[in-house]
Amino acid sequence: MALRYEYAVETEDLAKYYVMGPVTVRALDGVSVKIRRSEYLSIMGPSGSGKTTFFNMVGGLDRPTRGKVFIDEVDIASLDAYELAWLRAKKIGYIFQTFNLIPVLTALENVTLPMVFTGVEREERLRRAREMLTRVGLGERLDHKPGELSGGQQQRVAIARALVNDPVIVLADEPTGNLDLHTGLEIINLLKTLNTEKKVTIINATHDLKMIDVSDRIFWLRDGKIERIETRAEVAVKEVE
Amino acid sequence: MSGEEGVKFPLSEAFSFSLESIKRRFGRALVTMASIVLGISFLTFLLTTGRIVSVLYGEGSGVAVQFYQLWMAVIALLICSVGIVNSMLMSVTERYKEIGTMKCLGAMNTHVLEIFLIEALLLGLIGGGIGAVAGWTIATVWQAFTQASPINIFMVSASLWTEFNVTNPLLLLANPLIAIALSVIIALLAALAPAYIAAKLSPTEALRYEV
Repeated sequence: MALRYEYAVETEDLAKYYVMGPVTVRALDGVSVKIRRSEYLSIMGPSGSGKTTFFNMVGGLDRPTRGKVFIDEVDIASLDAYELAWLRAKKIGYIFQTFNLIPVLTALENVTLPMVFTGVEREERLRRAREMLTRVGLGERLDHKPGELSGGQQQRVAIARALVNDPVIVLADEPTGNLDLHTGLEIINLLKTLNTEKKVTIINATHDLKMIDVSDRIFWLRDGKIERIETRAEVAVKEVE
Repeated sequence: MSGEEGVKFPLSEAFSFSLESIKRRFGRALVTMASIVLGISFLTFLLTTGRIVSVLYGEGSGVAVQFYQLWMAVIALLICSVGIVNSMLMSVTERYKEIGTMKCLGAMNTHVLEIFLIEALLLGLIGGGIGAVAGWTIATVWQAFTQASPINIFMVSASLWTEFNVTNPLLLLANPLIAIALSVIIALLAALAPAYIAAKLSPTEALRYEV
C-alpha cells in the first residue's frame, strides 16, 4: 500500500491581513487545524468571518501573511510556480458559489479541462469526463453549454470537474449559496456520496446549516479565528437539549 | 517531484483551444477582425493604386506624391493599431474570470499568455489576409475600369505579390504579403500588454473581477 499521510491538510498559525488605508483587516488570524483524509468538513461562520480567505489559502490561490499550509505534508509555500500549478490541477478540486464554468465550452469540455493540464490522452479524457458526468446525473446533457443548464446542473458539472482528476481534497466555497433549498440539498447529498465513495476529503466553506447533517466535523469561524470545533454528534446533542 | 508530475499544455492544445475560442466567440472575433480588415485593406488599396498609377504614368509622378502616399499608409496603420489594441483589451478584460478559473485548474501564466497570443496571431493572419486581398482587388478592379488597358493594369497589380523590393519602402509595403505580415505583427503587439497583465493576475484577483 502506498504511503498515506493521516492528514490531508494541516495549517499552522495561518493568518492573512489586508491593509486598507489606515486599517488592517485581520481576515484570518492564527488558525491552526488538522484535517484528516476522507473527512467531510464544514467551515461555518457569518460572512466576513474569514471562510473564503481560509479557502483561498488552503487552495494555494493566495499567499498567507503568516503561517503555513501543508497539503499531504508538503508546505505549499515551498512550491515553485510549476509545482503550484500541478497542486491545483491534480491534488485540489475547486467548487465555487458562482460555478465558474467556462461559458463557451460544453459540459463535457469543461470537465475535460483539468485533465488537459495533467496530460491525459484525449480519448481517455473524454471517457473519464463522460463517466464522471454520468455519475453526477448529467449523462444526458454532455453537449450543453453552461448557459443552457440550470444552477443545480451547472454546479453538478463543476463537481464533476473538481473530482475528475481524483484529487486529495475538494474545496467548496459556498457551493449551495446560489441554489434554492431543494437543489442545495441535492448538491450537499451528492458531495457526501462522492466523499464516501471516493474517500476524498471535502472542505466546505458555508453558512448553510443543512451542511451540518452530513459533516463529520464543523469548524466555527469568527473574526478570523476558530471559535470552536464540533463533531456532528456534539451538534446533534445540543439541538436535542 | 518525479519527472512525470507537472502540468502540461502542449502547443497543439493551446492552438486548438484558441481556435475554438475564436469560433465560439465569433461575434467578438469579428469586431476585432473588422478593425484589422479595414486598416489593412485601406493600406493595400492605397499602395496598389499608387503602384498602378506610377507604372501607367511613369515613375516620375514625383517624390512629393510618393512621400504623401507613405504618410497616408502610416496613418492607416496607426488607426488600425488603435482599433486592434482597443478590441484586444476588451476581449481580454471580459475574460478575467475565465482566466482565474483556468488557473485554478492548473494553467500557468505562460499558458494564459500562449492562448491569447495564438488568438491574436490567428486574428491577425485571417484579418490581414482578408484585408490585403480585399484592398488589392478593389484597387485593381477600380483602376481596370477607369483607366485604359485593363489587362496591363491587372499584370501590374498581380506582379505586386511577388515583388520584395527592399530598396524602395513604398514598393515593399505595396506587396500584399508584407501587409499580412504587418497585420500579424500589429495584432501580436496589441495583444501583448493586455495578455501579459491577464497572465500575471493571481487566481483570486481574476476570480473576484466583475466586468
